[in-house]
Parts: sequence; structure tokens; C-alpha cells
Amino acid sequence: MSNGDWWNHPSRMDGLNDELRTHLEMSIRDRMARGESRQDAERNARRELGDVVTIREVTSDMWPHGWLRDVMQDLKYAVRSLTRVPGFAIACIVTLALGIGANTAIFSVINGVILRPLPYPLPHELIYVTSQFPTMGLDHFPVDAGEYFDFAERNRSFSAVGAYQVTAVNLGADDSPIRVVAANASASLFGALDVPAFRGRTFTNQETLPNQAPVVILSREEWESAFGGRPILGKQIQVDGVARTVVGIMPAGFDVHDQGVKVWLPLILDPAKRQQYRGGHNFQMIARLKNNVSLTQARSELETMLEQWNVADGGTVGAKCCGAGFVHTPDPKFHRLRYDDLQADTIGSIGRALWTLQAAVAFVLLIACANLANLLLMRAETRHKELAVRAALGAGRARLVRQFLAESAVLSLAGAVLGTVLAYVGLHALVSAAGSSIPRADGIAIDARVLGFTLLLALGTAVVFGLAPALQMTVGNLALTLREAGSRTTTIGARARLRSGLVILEMALAVMLVVGAGLLVRSFWNLMRVDAGFDRSHLTTFRVALPTKVYADFTRRVAFYDNLTRELNAIPGVTAVSGMTGLPPQRSINANDTDIEGYVQTPTGPAENIDYYQYAMPSYFSTMHIPMVAGRAFGPQDGPSSPPVAIINQTAAKLFYSGKSPIGRRIRPSGDTVWMTIVGVAKDVKQGGVDSKTGTELYLDYDQSPHAVQYAPANLNIVMRSERDAAALAPGIRRTLSSLDASLPISQLRSMDEVFETAVARPHVIAELLGVFATVALVLAAVGTYGVLAYSITERSREIGIRIALGASARDVLRMVLRQGLVLAVIGLALGLVGAGMLGRLTGTLLFGVAPTDKLTYALVAVFMLAIAAAASLVPARRATRVDPLEALRSE
Amino acid sequence: MSLPRYIDSLYPSPATGMTKRHAKPALARIELLQGTLDLIILQALRWGPRHGYGLVQLIRATSNGVLQVDAGSLYPALHRLERQRFVKAEWTVSGNKQRVRVYTLTAAGQKRLTAERSRWEQLTQAIEGLFVPPSTEEI
Repeated sequence: MSNGDWWNHPSRMDGLNDELRTHLEMSIRDRMARGESRQDAERNARRELGDVVTIREVTSDMWPHGWLRDVMQDLKYAVRSLTRVPGFAIACIVTLALGIGANTAIFSVINGVILRPLPYPLPHELIYVTSQFPTMGLDHFPVDAGEYFDFAERNRSFSAVGAYQVTAVNLGADDSPIRVVAANASASLFGALDVPAFRGRTFTNQETLPNQAPVVILSREEWESAFGGRPILGKQIQVDGVARTVVGIMPAGFDVHDQGVKVWLPLILDPAKRQQYRGGHNFQMIARLKNNVSLTQARSELETMLEQWNVADGGTVGAKCCGAGFVHTPDPKFHRLRYDDLQADTIGSIGRALWTLQAAVAFVLLIACANLANLLLMRAETRHKELAVRAALGAGRARLVRQFLAESAVLSLAGAVLGTVLAYVGLHALVSAAGSSIPRADGIAIDARVLGFTLLLALGTAVVFGLAPALQMTVGNLALTLREAGSRTTTIGARARLRSGLVILEMALAVMLVVGAGLLVRSFWNLMRVDAGFDRSHLTTFRVALPTKVYADFTRRVAFYDNLTRELNAIPGVTAVSGMTGLPPQRSINANDTDIEGYVQTPTGPAENIDYYQYAMPSYFSTMHIPMVAGRAFGPQDGPSSPPVAIINQTAAKLFYSGKSPIGRRIRPSGDTVWMTIVGVAKDVKQGGVDSKTGTELYLDYDQSPHAVQYAPANLNIVMRSERDAAALAPGIRRTLSSLDASLPISQLRSMDEVFETAVARPHVIAELLGVFATVALVLAAVGTYGVLAYSITERSREIGIRIALGASARDVLRMVLRQGLVLAVIGLALGLVGAGMLGRLTGTLLFGVAPTDKLTYALVAVFMLAIAAAASLVPARRATRVDPLEALRSE
Repeated sequence: MSLPRYIDSLYPSPATGMTKRHAKPALARIELLQGTLDLIILQALRWGPRHGYGLVQLIRATSNGVLQVDAGSLYPALHRLERQRFVKAEWTVSGNKQRVRVYTLTAAGQKRLTAERSRWEQLTQAIEGLFVPPSTEEI
């Protein structure tokens, strides 16, 4: 053993070495003086002196020292004793690395998404303001410009109120036009967020008024990627066909509500038109609380504001929509405003999923701990004599416990290091695979806080799995062992019970995890099988946005898309092409007030309002394979001069026509003068999410819309049916589009299957992760069961030998051991199923189409777990049948 | 798992390694032995400064070979007594021109020795008392 104990007073250690060497030399000289040969003298003197390493160790223990040296001493000792059993150490470290690594990875996500504060000064003061229409089931709806002006003027709780609207624009970048996320923002938004520009300035109030020189602010990211980071302030760039002067660049990472905004445009609103703006709910509001006002105080002020709102705008208290004295303003009952913490709102519903995953990995780690505790217990028993001797040498109980904990700590820290590497790799894979379904995913990283968490976790883990074996080694036990020279004692029963208890715990935790994973996998399976209402295979889609200034004329828009679809249809292999405004299944709700002829709105009945408006080209239904339930689809007969037509979906037909045929009835957007006649009822299509209930939908004939509603949207999604995939079609699509208008970018080109995968990406990744964690838990629990049974066979080999000698058959022995394993499994299973039932209440909201207490899942898990336990017991059971009775009896 | 060799070799001398921190009432037996080892060393040092090997020889000779203190017990005890300031140690050169560490009894060690001696005398008296037959009246 080298003398590299640098923390051990190196000079003192040298001195002690000298002292011992002199002692030895004197002893040799004396022995030779008594007539021993040199050889004998040396040998005997050495024997008399004893083991130098131990003398050194015990002596240096007596030196004055601090706690650090104590700790290092314990760790050194632990490392040395673990390197003597490398297989055991590696098994422990790998197990811990899996458990700790999974915890580190999930905590990194929680840290980056939930715990990391929003990147604004004093982010807890920021409140997200939305509107609520309780009777229409709208709980988180945008606000209109009228109430934005009212709110900014009348509130006393907020120091600044900003409004914005997220959209997308065609940006004339260096090389080719690109489609980027943009926001129309009020000048006050930057003030409310309290972030100054990185270069230049943010908007002035003047710039957000109508008829001002057009300006734009770039994100730092877009400035660097699209414009190479060259000086650009004061220069003009093309945005949606309009030349705008760049007045500022926002700092890196600046965004709002995790929307990925790259370009900021002024939100042009005319305060004089406040009353005309009412009802157009298109804006998000962010307000900053004054620093002496709490959210509760602000909410109570809001109630007062809601009471008085419509009176202040010339309405009458209690006036019903849409009679005399009614103005479309917030009120306490039908049209409320709500305040949410901006950070909580940005994170949204993923919190529960993430905490569920964190709980799952905590379970995995607990199972790993139980496994390791068992391994250490068994190892401690084989080391009984060594420990007894150490105790007799004066190492007190506290010292021995410390040494046990040092071993656990060394294992745990090594596991944490390896686990952090695993977490790093795993996180990378997770974020690149599922980043788009996780808010704030760009902030997910292993930072100082995560490392601190991992370190604490590793130390906590060491205590959890190291303490049980340490406490088992009481001084009393040790004294006993010394007297009985390591023979069997009655304490074995107690230890076996502890080991069995740990196996039961592992089994129960694994069952809970497997049940959870099973339920989530079934949820995902259900999601994938939801009938979205159309055939999504062999469909390719992309989005085209016409600059509204260039394509100001509505008929020109229609003509453009007619040309585009005709030419796309000519691409070889393409069988059908169409265009529409809303791409299922993840549209945001429109909730447009709509006049439905003959429908009488009652206070309790559904509002005269349609959830989704869909402007569709006539070929839409045939391209998407959406069947008509009644009537007909749009067709060539619906020309500009023929009567305006509309189609509604099944849900709308059921809701507003209560069993009677809607065909021939009339409908129109509220405020319009021309009625459209319903000519068909289409099968329901999932518009607002695969897992949500289908809303009401109104289809307008895009080709006819300039005449019917004096409007035609500029942006359409194109869908193409073809046996060829999106990548194969892409070059043809690009060629076709640029031949029509070279300034138009293509965005979101992908297959409809991909669109669906994106829509279910979050449940997919959660189910997948839980599946992985459950598998790890399962393997650990199986290994734990195996280990404990195998050890117990070794321990009981004498008993088994006697049984065989007395005539027990191999089958009897097999059955006995299997029973031992299965009894543990059944108890664990029962506890696990009960636990899973209790946890079900917490995870219920993550499920889809399956109850948290689904009997089939529970039954399958039960059968599966028993099979695993039986398999894990079988190997030791077969070994037990091969016990040689003579051998077993002799060995004692 | 096989036992490390050194533990076997050290096992018969339990009077080492006890520090105050680890002392537990449950181990009174070992404490007694430790006190005895202290007494033996301090008493031997009363006759003058000695190095470790010299102490072993002196104790063996003065006890007619009955008390054999091995190095594994002696050095930890010496270094502990040094920390407790009952002895002090100095490097000097011996008659054989060897560098040796020589231990000297301090004033505090002197006091400690007195205390240990009186404890020892109490104990031996108490044990001697056991050899006197009890008077019949007291039964």
C-alpha cells in the first residue's frame, strides 16, 4: 500500500514510518545479538511488529484532525474495500446511474420549463389577461381592442398594460423569402415586460397609430440568421410585401408567452374607433402589477370594474345580448376577464405530466435503493466477522455506521457521475424528439441547479440505501458474532424479514409504475385511433400566405389559389388538390357569433355561435375524403352569380336543428347582410385537438366568398392527395409556387401523418418515457426478487439438504422456493394495485379513453408481474433442487 | 470473502483504537483495558524518556515477561497520549546513531498517572477483598 495519504499530515506520516522502521531495526539487531540468524531475525521481527499498514492507520487515527480528514479517511477506506469486489461495485453503480440519471434528466426538464423564471425583470408581477364566456364554454379567450383600451385606462392595479397578437409574416431575407412568426405589439407591451431593445429602440405610441411610416423590430436571432448580423438599424426590409424601417433589435431570447416571435410589428389600433372594435376578440394582454398590489387585490378590483363596465360605455346594467341597452363589454356574468400568472399560463398543462414523470423516476430510484439495500445487507453479512473485529478494535458503532455510509456515498456519487452523463445524452434525444410539444424547451439544460439537485439526490440516496445495513450492524450483534464465531443465530430471521420487506416494496412500486405506464400507453393508443373525420394517409400539406397589401383584391386571391391548385394537380402522381383556412386537428377556436335563421337562443341553450369557420375550396371534401352525411358538397354550380351556399358539420346540425334537416335553412356571420343557404351536412372533423370534443363548424365556399361575405382570406393550407410522399413532392411544389409568385415562401410542408404526430407528440413522449421507466423498474424488481431468493437458497442450503435427505423430491423443493418468491410477489402486487388505484386520481387528467382504475389494465399487469416474479424465482428454485445433501450437511 | 490478513493478526489485542469519541458505556470492558495500558506506559516513562522499542523492552523486563505490549497497541496509545498532552515526543539521535522518537512524561501525564494508579489500587483492593472470607454475622 502506497503512502499517498496526502490529507494525513504527510510529514507526520513520514515520521511514523521512520519510527516503525527504527523499531523494526532495533528488534532485528537485538534478535541477532541473541544469536538468531539474520534471516530468522528479520522474519520474526516483522511478525512481532505486525501489519504496518494497520498500525499506521490506527495510529494516524489518534492524531488531532478535522472532520474533512475524517471524511476523506472514510471515503478512502470505502474505495479500497469496494475495489476488492469490482463486480458488486459496478452492478451497484450502473443501477444507481440509471436511477439518478433518470431523475436528473426529468428534473432538468422541470427546472427549464417550470422552475426557471421567465426572462423578464420581476416576472412574478406579470399577469396574463384573457376573457371568459362561461355560458359558451370559453374560458381562455382573447380580448377585443375596445376592452384593451378600457382596461388600460380604468384599472388601478397595474403599472403597465400591453397587447399583442401573434401571427406570421413573409420576410424578405437575404437569400429567399421566409415565413416567420411575428407579433403585432402595442408600444406599452415592451414597457410592461420591462425589456429594452438590444440595439435601437422599441416602438413609440405614435408608431402604433394608423397611417404612420411602417416600422419593424427584429429579434436578435432573426437579425443574425436572416440578415447576417450586419448593421440594419434605419434600413428598410420587406415584410409581407411592405418596406418597413428597422428601428430596433430585441435581445437574444426575448419572446412572449413562448410563441417563438422573431419579428415585431406595431399593433395598429385607433383609440377613436374603440366602440367599433368591440366583439373582435383577437388580442392577448399582459399587465404588470404595481409593486405594492397583490394578485388578490387586483382580482377584487376587477370585480368592481366588471360591475360598472357596460354602464361606463353607455349600456344598462343587466341588459341581455343583444337587445336594447346592450354593449359588448365585460360584465360579471357572461363576459368576464381573468387574470393568470404569466409564467403559469405559459407553462400550461404540462406541469402535471412532468411531475408525474418525476414521481415515476423517483419510484425507479426507490426501487434501485431497495435493491442496493438488499445487496449491501447480504454483503454486510458476509463481512460480519471483519466488522466484528473492527468493532472490537475500538471502532465504535458510529464509526462503523459512518464507514457503511461512506461506501454507499462512494457508490452513489459514482452512480451520479455516470447518471449525469446518461441524463445529458437522454435529454438531448428527448428535446430533439419532443421539444416542440414542451413549452420553453430551449431552456432545458443541465445547469448548476440541476447539478446541485443531483448531488443532493446522490447523498440522500446513499443514506436511504446505506442506512439499513449500517444499522443492522449494531454493536450488540457484533459482540454476539464474535462469541459464536460467525455461526447462525436467531437474528437471521429478522434480517430475512427485512430483505423480504424490501422485495415487497420494490414489487409494489414497480406495479404502480407499470399500471401507470399501461394506462398511458392505452391512452395514446386510443388517441391514435380517434376518428378525425377524414383519411389522413397519403396527404401532403403546406401553407401559403399572400401578402395582403399586394393581393388586396379578394377575387385576385381566389384566382391565385384556383391557379395554384390546378397546376399542383398537374404534378405527376397527384390525384387531388384543395385549399382551406384551418388545418385540423390543432386549430385554435374561432367562436364567431353567427345568425342561424329560425334558431331561438334560450338562456340555458347553446349560444348562437359557431366554433370553427372553414373557408374551403370546392374540392376540399373529395380531397380530404370527408363524407357528406346529408345534402351535397360545394360544386361548380356554386358560382359567383348563384345564391351563396354553406355546409355545416354534424355537431352543428344536431345542436341547432334538433333532429330536423338543416338542408335549405339559412345562416350567416353576425353582422353580414347576405344569407347563405345550407346545402349539405359534413361528417364531423376533429379541428381543435384529437382528444377534445368536436366543436360546431361552418364551411364557406372559398371561391364564392368574395361575393357571399365580401371577404376572402389571404392564407390557405393546401392539401394534396398523392401516393408520393411530401419529400418527393417538394421540388414540384416549389417550382409551381415560384412560377406563380417568386416572392412567396412555402411553410410547414409535411405529410398529414406528421401533423397528427405533432398533435399527439406530448402524450406520445409521456407514454414512451413512462414505458421506459416502468421497464427499468420491472427489471430492477425482478433482479431484486432473484437476488433475495438466490441468497436465501444459499442460506437455507443445510435445511434444503436435510429435506432432500429426508426424501423431499426435486419437485417439492422447486415448489417450496417458487412459493417463497410468489408469496412476496403477491403481497407486493396487492399493495401495488392499491397504490396505483390511489395514484390514479392524480394522473387521471393525463388519460384519454381509459379510466384510471381500468380493470383490464390492472388484470394484465397482475398476470404479467406474477409471470415475471415466477421467472425470477425459477432460477434459484432450480438451483435449490441441485443441493447435494451430503455437501450441505458437511459444510456447516 | 476472505478476511484481510492484518485484522487476524491484530485481533488478540483489543486495547487499541479506542478514542474518547467512540467510547460507549457498552464497552466498559475495553475501557478498563485501555486504562490499564495507559497506566503501564505512563508508569514505565516515570523512569525516564524512552523510545517505543525501548518501552516494549522495559515493560517486558520489569514484568518478568508477563506483559507483552505489541507495536499495534503501543504506537496508537503513545500518539493518543501525546495528543492528550500526557506525554511529549522529540526526535533525537540514539547511542547507535539512529534517529529515534523519544517520549517524555509531562506534568499533566504525572497527574494522570497518579489518578490511574489510585484507580488501579482501588480495583486491586476491591478484588483482594473478594478473597477474604465473609464474616458469618453478615449473612
